[in-house]
Amino acid sequence: MRPTEHELVERCRQGDETAFRELVDHYKGLVFGLIARSIANRARAEELAQDVFLKVHKGLPCFRGEAKLSTWMYRIVINVLSQERPELTTASLDDRDEDDRPRLQPAADDRAFGDLVMKDRLQKAIEQLPIQYQVLINGHYLKGMRYEDLAEALNMPMGTVKTHLHRAKRRLRHLLETEYR
Amino acid sequence: MRCDDLENLIEAIADDSLPLPAEDAAHVASCALCTARIERARSIESLLSVREVAPLPAAFTQAVMARVIQERWKAERAIDLGFNLAIAAGILVIVTAGAGLAWSLGMLSVTIDLDAIVRALDAGATGRLLSQVQTVAMSAVLLTMALFLWWWAEAASD
Repeated sequence: MRPTEHELVERCRQGDETAFRELVDHYKGLVFGLIARSIANRARAEELAQDVFLKVHKGLPCFRGEAKLSTWMYRIVINVLSQERPELTTASLDDRDEDDRPRLQPAADDRAFGDLVMKDRLQKAIEQLPIQYQVLINGHYLKGMRYEDLAEALNMPMGTVKTHLHRAKRRLRHLLETEYR
Repeated sequence: MRCDDLENLIEAIADDSLPLPAEDAAHVASCALCTARIERARSIESLLSVREVAPLPAAFTQAVMARVIQERWKAERAIDLGFNLAIAAGILVIVTAGAGLAWSLGMLSVTIDLDAIVRALDAGATGRLLSQVQTVAMSAVLLTMALFLWWWAEAASD
């Protein structure tokens, strides 16, 4: 029978290495997936994902269990990514800064969505988003991250999360219309 | 004007979280710009939904566990160092206290006769003293090398 999250955390806190190994096995997909979608360098992404688990290991004695473990990890991922790319941490999350940009009209003949080139452009555009937007998009479209989890991790009401998600996608669309044509 | 109003709603329309009022739907149907925007937003939506999940690196868990053990070992080493320093400080205090006690009981007396030293130097004892200085210096060099080798061995075993 699979141990509950609470049991797993308790065993980790008592210094049970097997429990921590189980914890890593359980969450490594989520943590690495989130980071690898923001950091193009695979080796660096792996190193940062390991850093997240080291911070989890160090912080477990202080983890009071008020939030879900995945939520707490999600916050650590945001912190680690923010330290990695501080220039994207201070970027504004509202739309004001992009209002000054010249907006090009979408090209009528651009029907090439879905191909590899478009995927590459999308990835580059995502990497230009502020870290919180990146994690929001990566988290939302990665299996397992619900609106509730995102709201808790980002300390925002659920409605705000949805609004930010739409803004993030709008910014993506504008980036694809302008910088990554 | 309506295109600008709809611009902020394009993503919500594209992911079907906002049903389009009939009036706006009529506008979109007749507006090439809004239609193109919605099409693009829908394309982004579908691309985001099918983005591949990066494959996990092999032996990721083992790598994390190895780093955890390494971190723990570092912490233990810091504790060891603190413990050794505390022991050394304790020994120093005990020796100093013992010497102080012996001195206060008159069992230990140290007299330094500067005049005698000066006279000895004047009397040609400089060579003998210099040879002792060389011995002490050589011992210090050997001790430093031994400490360096010990440190290097500890660092290499990391």
